[in-house]
Amino acid sequence: MDALKEGLLRVEPGLFLWTVITFLVLVLILWKAAWKPIVEALDARAERVRGDIESADKARQEAEKLLAQHKSLMDNAKSEAAKIVEDSRAEAEKMRNEIIEKASADAKDLSERTKKEITLAKDKALSDIKAEIVILSTEIAAKIINKNLNPNDQKALVEETLNKVGTVQ
Amino acid sequence: MVRLYQFINSLVTSAGSTVCGEDSMYEVVVGHVTDSPFIYQIEPHGLWANIGNWIFKLNTLLGFQIPKEQAVKCLHGHPYSVIESDPVLFLGMADLRITKWVLMLWLALIICALIFIPLARKIKKAPMGSKSKWVNMWEALIGFVHDDIVDPNFEHGHAKKAMPYFLSVFFFIFIANYMGQIPGMATATGNLAVTGGLACFTLLGMIVIGVVMQGPLWIITGIVPHGIPIFLFPLLWAIELLGLLIKPFALTIRLFANMTAGHIVVIIFIYLVMLFQNHLVGIGSVALSLVIYLLELLVCFIQAYIFTTLSAMFIGASVHAH
Repeated sequence: MDALKEGLLRVEPGLFLWTVITFLVLVLILWKAAWKPIVEALDARAERVRGDIESADKARQEAEKLLAQHKSLMDNAKSEAAKIVEDSRAEAEKMRNEIIEKASADAKDLSERTKKEITLAKDKALSDIKAEIVILSTEIAAKIINKNLNPNDQKALVEETLNKVGTVQ
Repeated sequence: MVRLYQFINSLVTSAGSTVCGEDSMYEVVVGHVTDSPFIYQIEPHGLWANIGNWIFKLNTLLGFQIPKEQAVKCLHGHPYSVIESDPVLFLGMADLRITKWVLMLWLALIICALIFIPLARKIKKAPMGSKSKWVNMWEALIGFVHDDIVDPNFEHGHAKKAMPYFLSVFFFIFIANYMGQIPGMATATGNLAVTGGLACFTLLGMIVIGVVMQGPLWIITGIVPHGIPIFLFPLLWAIELLGLLIKPFALTIRLFANMTAGHIVVIIFIYLVMLFQNHLVGIGSVALSLVIYLLELLVCFIQAYIFTTLSAMFIGASVHAH
């Protein structure tokens, strides 16, 4: 115990008391004036940084979700567009074929009708010509007969003329 | 212990040639690392002698001491006319005279206040973090106290309440340690009374926190680990109760010994120069004392950290039963 009174290991109660007093004063002063505001400010900052990181993370996730959505939308739109193009191409092809078919059918129809009309016109023209020839020949015959023809000759002549007209036809 | 001192003393005492005789190595070393009351020098030389005279007057004024008659005293091998004093003991035991060590404690307190009160304002003013290197340095240390000392030893919620106390402990010891490294100053924490005073707060913290958080029965059930056989309980309780006192005692000795040892080595290396008065020894001694000094700078931080961490562990253990 003597070592506590002398030299290196001396424990001076007065210094002990001063230490206690000084430290208490330090704690009391700095608690209110420094530590509390500092700890609160640092905590608040840490809290805010944590919040920022969390919200940034959330925003990132949201953005990723949106991006995925957009991607799928884009994909859908692309395939839809491709389908539309495909469809319209098929439609156009079909239409073209239809138009061609119709056109060729029309053309055929038209040519047939024209042919028929031509035939009809020809027939009519021939019959007209025939009638005209009869009239003409009759007039000619009448002129001849009026001059020097007997009835038998006249009859033979008419028949012959008629036959000729028939063969021409 | 005293015999050991006397042995070392006689071993390294060198015979003097002046009127007073030279200081022995023991006197030089112990004189540098122990506290002693200021004496009044009639013709003060140097800054500390002037400060000492001023404090001597203050001590007399405050009634902490009664001055003696003027006398001649040998200081560092030279005779001086000085006035010494007798302490007026407070409560019959405490010598309250303001000494160099008390001044160092106050200086640590003032430096802490000068650093941290403006710092609090600056930190509050810059919610996104200050750009100042000074603020960021202290912030990093405060963050270190929070992340490595308080947070691992206290459950959440308690950590925030415990922070101010441990910040006080850490920075008080930290500043006092580093002040002791400045030549001319003294290491306040290299004294058993000072470290004992600080460790008493840890002991008080352990007891108060234990009683408040776990009820008065803490002293019986709280300090013994759960799940031990019942017949071992009295034995373990006695051991743990003793441990309760040993823990702050170890804190006291650890901080004191670490802060004193380095100083003693540095002083002895410097003393060797005076002893041998030889260039080679001079160069070697100064180089080695510089190395020890650099080591001391590291020890200052480590010891502040260890004292605070262990305090946090001990007090944190009283919060919940284990």
